[in-house]
Amino acid sequence: MGLASASTATTGPEAMQLCIFDLRRGQNEGQELDKILFFYPADLPFSAQFSVIGLSEGLITFTRIFSPEAACEAIEADRHSHVFYEAEPDIWMVMVVEKSMEYEAKWRTDALRKVLKEVHSLFVMFHGSVRAMLDKDPGGVLARSHLYSFVMDYLGDFLVGKKLLMPSFRDSLKERGTVQMLTVGREAAIEVQSLVRVLESSAGNLPCHSLILFQDLLVSTTLSPDDTVNLFAYAVLRLTPHVLSSGASSWSYLRKGATANVSSSSILSDSGTVPEQYHGSHNNSSAGDNSSRVIRPLKLDKWSKGNDGFLATDIWGAEPSTGVSATPTVFLHQSEERMYLCAHQHKSLTLLFLIPVSSVLNGEQGLSTVKQQVLENVSLKLLKVEEKLSKGWGGENAYHVSGYRYLLVDGDRNVSRASPTGKVTTLSKESLLALSKLREEVDREKSRAQWDSPGHEKELEVSIRAKNNAWVIARVTRGKELYMVLEKANETLLYASDAVEKFSNRYCGGAFSLN
Amino acid sequence: MTSASSSGDETSDPKPNPITKPPEDQLAALALSDTDSQANGVANESPRGNNHNEIENEEEVAALTNSAPSGSSEVVESSGGGGGGILRARSNSELEADGPESPSSSGYAGGRGSSSASSDGSGIDEIAAVSDVEVVDGVSDSQAPWVPGKRHVDEDDASISWRKRKKHFFILSNSGKPIYSRHGDEHKLAGFSATLQAIISFVENGGDRVKLVRAGKHQVVFLVKGPIYLVCISCTEEPYESLRMQLELIYGQMLLILTKSVNRCFEKNPKFDMTPLLGGTDIVFSSLIHSFSWNPATFLHAYTCLPLAYATRQAAGAILQDVADSGVLFAILMCKHKVISLVGAQKASLHPDDMLLLSNFVMASESFRTSESFSPICLPRYNAMAFLYAYVHFFDADTYLMLLTTSSEAFYHLKDCRIRIEMVLLKSSVLSEIQRSMLDGGMRVEELPLDPLPRSGSFSPHLNQHTLPTDSPDRFREPYDGVGGPAGLWHFVYRSIFLDQYVSSEFSAPINSARQQKRLYRAYQKLYASMHERGIGPHKTQFRRDENYVLLCWVTQDFELYAAFDPLADKALAIKTCNRVCQWVKDVENEIFLLGASPFSW
Repeated sequence: MGLASASTATTGPEAMQLCIFDLRRGQNEGQELDKILFFYPADLPFSAQFSVIGLSEGLITFTRIFSPEAACEAIEADRHSHVFYEAEPDIWMVMVVEKSMEYEAKWRTDALRKVLKEVHSLFVMFHGSVRAMLDKDPGGVLARSHLYSFVMDYLGDFLVGKKLLMPSFRDSLKERGTVQMLTVGREAAIEVQSLVRVLESSAGNLPCHSLILFQDLLVSTTLSPDDTVNLFAYAVLRLTPHVLSSGASSWSYLRKGATANVSSSSILSDSGTVPEQYHGSHNNSSAGDNSSRVIRPLKLDKWSKGNDGFLATDIWGAEPSTGVSATPTVFLHQSEERMYLCAHQHKSLTLLFLIPVSSVLNGEQGLSTVKQQVLENVSLKLLKVEEKLSKGWGGENAYHVSGYRYLLVDGDRNVSRASPTGKVTTLSKESLLALSKLREEVDREKSRAQWDSPGHEKELEVSIRAKNNAWVIARVTRGKELYMVLEKANETLLYASDAVEKFSNRYCGGAFSLN
Repeated sequence: MTSASSSGDETSDPKPNPITKPPEDQLAALALSDTDSQANGVANESPRGNNHNEIENEEEVAALTNSAPSGSSEVVESSGGGGGGILRARSNSELEADGPESPSSSGYAGGRGSSSASSDGSGIDEIAAVSDVEVVDGVSDSQAPWVPGKRHVDEDDASISWRKRKKHFFILSNSGKPIYSRHGDEHKLAGFSATLQAIISFVENGGDRVKLVRAGKHQVVFLVKGPIYLVCISCTEEPYESLRMQLELIYGQMLLILTKSVNRCFEKNPKFDMTPLLGGTDIVFSSLIHSFSWNPATFLHAYTCLPLAYATRQAAGAILQDVADSGVLFAILMCKHKVISLVGAQKASLHPDDMLLLSNFVMASESFRTSESFSPICLPRYNAMAFLYAYVHFFDADTYLMLLTTSSEAFYHLKDCRIRIEMVLLKSSVLSEIQRSMLDGGMRVEELPLDPLPRSGSFSPHLNQHTLPTDSPDRFREPYDGVGGPAGLWHFVYRSIFLDQYVSSEFSAPINSARQQKRLYRAYQKLYASMHERGIGPHKTQFRRDENYVLLCWVTQDFELYAAFDPLADKALAIKTCNRVCQWVKDVENEIFLLGASPFSW
């Protein structure tokens, strides 16, 4: 059964475990199994699954004695880290990662939590909340079968060879859950603006939203920040030209030298069947048939570009009457409205537009008319914008700043920019470990400040000269964060500070400058 | 531990009470031992009454249950044990009227330590919610006295006030029996203790060992030492490494009283109840826990010396050496937590943590002050399995001599040694020099010299019988006296790596209040942990600026410097100033450090 058996067979059941459980279920003795909504690896004996969930539940209860406002977030043990995330009230996700003796197995808790957060947000975008599914089908079959396919497909992107590799200290100059923007010139920006306007108007009076990407970078969005992050993440995972051409998600592509190899993608595409437990074998629900058709938006290699430039997929099945593939739909976080997701691609430019399902008559047929109409209106603009952006595009090292390895995060806008991955890999392990530790410290300071005085933004400046003489730097100010490693810096603190100052003035509009 | 009534039943032998029992019986004997029953006696009477003169600055601030998150309305509460802590709360805030102890010369206000009183939670230890306590407003920065001994014995895990205490420490046995709890009555906490045990063993059964649980502001830190489990639950901002080290020290303090051979009792009987063995020592643990919020020795793993003229310290060292040659393992002369001189028999070396635990034990136990004592103690870093015997004598309220020996029958010999030492100290006026140094204090950032002093320089005029006059032009004086030293320097701590010693400057404006001092202490503690990150540390330099300070840290092969500046301090000037501090310390090291005589140099 694909990923599950493959990885348990090779790396043992303990390398990584991920579970999702509902504290409102299985309250009575003997029904504990009912709590479990998802468990990876699925073939772990129930006793072992219970032990993970039992400990988690115990500590959630225990920590609430002292900290009713925030229950257990993490457990550190000698051999494992457990990372908690309460995705929805009483619905918990817990990831257990094994600390191996290898140097590589060093994580930042917050980075792991962001993985949990991402998979949950994406799930909700496509399927709605887990709680809603449980309400709809109290037996849990619906939620279990959907979670199983979705989370397994998502985890597939972390497969490197036959091993699931979670983000480690090597990813310290990255921030999951943020959007990476393309910097565009003034002229191009005006073109993009007009493209967006035409798009909106061509949908008639339908309240439509759009998101435009160039390569893997965001150019424009009319969605709320949360929805933008989710759709952007999905596009980068499954829709951008790079993914479509290589058949690999950007994440695995970004991993050092690991273009998703044949074995991992075949492991994935085979994983069609859902293990017995997710069919509700342990409860007597009659909803079994509902689960036979589970939409798997994250299934790999399911999107392709049609002749008309629209991206098509059969993930959402086909309309029985016409045999035409059904258009994907997503829930918007902000409006909680179901939207058709239409994706069009011209060379490096990907255009996503969303139209409320409720406003399109005649289903697929009506939508197809709308799509053609939109395409007619924007196609010229599209060509023009693509051309402009391509001309101004500096290539994959466009945002490299010589001498610096950096990550810049704007927390208020969920935007980040970082040194290109290829450049980050030139840093030594020691520097990256030191940065990872520093980020962990900053994470804690930030969360502490949140608890102590909500709304008050932390101001912090830390420069550390590590054992290997690299400068590792963190700056937090007014909701913005800057992390930096300077390996070839002169040895003085003043030199390092000066370097940050220059960077801030030139690339951050002086946000981190001290005047 | 008011409930441990062992002392009531045991005979309180007249002192001195040399213990002559075979080692096997030491554990049992301990409950009988002189010092313990003494301490116990104290605890059993009204601790507050007895310790009035002991009152130090510490806060026990309680916030109102539901409404006040922390800070809006507080009550000062510091019940020192016995029932009715809540009622006491009121009388305690009156007690405050005695006034805060003014920062003494010891470097940390109030001798056994200052700590802070405060209300708004930041960096403060005790925020509690007690709904039925009269709320006193505006006590925020007043220095509520720290009272040694047990707190809040009327509370247990069902009390909201107990749950809101900022920092809990627990010792329990691997069968889940409570041994010690900082707050609340151990016996009432049996259920809670069993929960802690269940968590530890649940993880252990899975082939792992739990170290830390995080939840919001809270950290739960676990330390397993054979059959003894130690747990800290804290919502202070201290890093995990610091809290774990504090548990190590608490375990060490327990070993100092019992030795590691207590493990054997658990081997024989897993349900063994240890509480009677520790009867009356609550006060020792609470004093140690208090030191976690003011004494840098608890995280630096170094000790500090009372500043003295080189010749004076030499004189003290010479007579101690004399005594050590006559079969004394360690001879230590201390003033509060500061070392005057110490000498070890050949090849014996004393770990700074052992010194910390030993001096805490001696200073916290009232009985040592009243007359000379002879008591079995264990130095966990020296030999965790065996008892040594400590002869302790206070020359005055703060200055005391400790003579350690392996022989349980050496009391009279050590007494003779003490008499000899006392005579010499009096004759050479070492004791009066100590008094003077106490009054004059140590290094002050305001006095940071502009240029390096001549080699024989002295940091403080009073020590200086031979060089600079007070109004020396070399002495750096900023025009803005009263707001710290040059370039916005507020404070520093310098640790000499070879000497295992540190020196810290006196607190001066604006680090005046106990609360500010505690906050700075916590900032240093965090900085230390960050610099000494496991696996990748130590780092070489760190510059850190936040709302409260600019902190600079240097770690070299020879020393570590931690310096705090005004948050608006100029970086370049701050660096320059740090260099001057290092130079200054080197110039006066003869007086602020114990040189040469160090047992670590064997």
